[in-house]
Amino acid sequence: MEQVWYTAAAWIALALLASLISIRIGISVALVEIFLGFVAGNLGSYLGTAIFQPNAWINFLAGFASVVLTFLAGAEIEPESFRRQLIPTLAIGFISFLFPFLGAMAYAYYVSGWDLHAAQIAGIALSTTSMAVVYAVMVETGLNETELGKLILGATFITDLGTVLALGLIFAQYDYWLIIFAAVTLVALWRLPALSRWFFNTWGGRVSEPEIKFIFLVLCILGALAVTARSEAVLPAYLFGMVLAGLFTHNKVLVLRMRSIVFALLTPFFFLKAGTLVSLKALIAGFSLLVVFFLVKMAAKIAGVWPMCRAFKIPVRESNYTTLLMATGLTFGSISALFGLNYGYIDQAQYSILVTAVIASAVIPTVIAQIWCHPRVVTLGRYSKAVPGSVPGSPNPPPREE
Amino acid sequence: MFKKILLAYDGSGGAKRALDAGLELARLHQAELWALTVQEGVPRFSATIDEVQEEKAFANQHTLEVLDAARARARERGFDLQTMKRLGHPAQTIIQVAGEGDFDLILVGHSGLSGVWAKFLGTTAEKVSRHAPCSVLIVR
Repeated sequence: MEQVWYTAAAWIALALLASLISIRIGISVALVEIFLGFVAGNLGSYLGTAIFQPNAWINFLAGFASVVLTFLAGAEIEPESFRRQLIPTLAIGFISFLFPFLGAMAYAYYVSGWDLHAAQIAGIALSTTSMAVVYAVMVETGLNETELGKLILGATFITDLGTVLALGLIFAQYDYWLIIFAAVTLVALWRLPALSRWFFNTWGGRVSEPEIKFIFLVLCILGALAVTARSEAVLPAYLFGMVLAGLFTHNKVLVLRMRSIVFALLTPFFFLKAGTLVSLKALIAGFSLLVVFFLVKMAAKIAGVWPMCRAFKIPVRESNYTTLLMATGLTFGSISALFGLNYGYIDQAQYSILVTAVIASAVIPTVIAQIWCHPRVVTLGRYSKAVPGSVPGSPNPPPREE
Repeated sequence: MFKKILLAYDGSGGAKRALDAGLELARLHQAELWALTVQEGVPRFSATIDEVQEEKAFANQHTLEVLDAARARARERGFDLQTMKRLGHPAQTIIQVAGEGDFDLILVGHSGLSGVWAKFLGTTAEKVSRHAPCSVLIVR
């Protein structure tokens, strides 16, 4: 019988080790957690111990983490910059989702012989763009403050919206529960910003954290309805995050408190679990497929995003940079693959290949973009004439802080 | 001989020894002494924007504290230390600032905060000494 405290101690020790390694080597804690989870999970299997095999309570923490992560990602939208470049943002973001989704799904289904559901999971997992990876790359050089940076972040948001919509709708059961779920979600999204504002103003700022409990309650109720309708809890979470984005912008203390809870208790379990389920044997056996999936994602992103950037007259170097950044992926790709594994749409071998391809897409295009394609002069080309506030041809040196 | 000295300062023990040497050299040569702190990037390949923002805020705060401590140490010796901070790769940025600012000497501690990467890729001091546009003094 499992002794819960030993299991908890082992997983939290891994999470702590991941934090220390992450701080030391400057790589995100999520990637280190996935790697340590991978090592511990495979070592545990080899030694015959079950301590690093996910159980019911770890599954709950990991599942809740994916919902809260998605909520926080939704809350990052900047409505103003989004509106300013609406058409290119929508077009680039949509194509960035559609091409790899169709490309990876077609390859998995027609060439690799995966069944339809597994192929759909492959398409969704490889369609994503990592807003965090993109943001981290741009914030170092101040690009996130330029029109190009805002365009890329907005497009990333649309791509991820495509991913959560696909995840939430493709596998849903089209019956009255889906209608109930859709109706409740729509009403909730309509009324929740005002209700949340009132609730935060009336009850906020106390040590018992009523605001965070309120957010968690909404996430759980909408998540429960989504799962009952055979949809996915991340869909309403992302939409709820979107409608609360403005409120979060003005409530930094609340954001900091939520981050503390999420980073200390929730996300380590999600990323460690994502790593423990990656099988070394499956990776070795399916290495060529892993490489092909990665290449399919890159090719589909290039085929979709680059021409679209050029269609909006974005200069070549900026188009290259945008395309590479739109080809990154991490969190939503992992969430999608784990969703597929949890619901039995893919097996552990397929999951291992997909998650590793997703991680490769977090690293390789980022490095290429930073080294070879970083725009020296940031412009949006001729398109920028229509963009208030952007100055074509204006130099954009790295930020200098005295 | 030296008119403008650039001290690469990261708050480590090596950097503090370099600061002491820099204060002495500046006094001897009647030179300007500038301390430069290079703020390294945010975590690579992040999974959440929150992680990036928190790490950036932490790095900003840490840099301010490091430079404040350097100024205080210089003031104790009766010297008004000029400070600046930049974002980027430490060695590249030190070399770039030295070139742009027409510095004629770079002072750098032998071992800084490069950590694990330095074991594989070489220390910042090694890289600066290879590519600097001016003289480099590595303080042990």
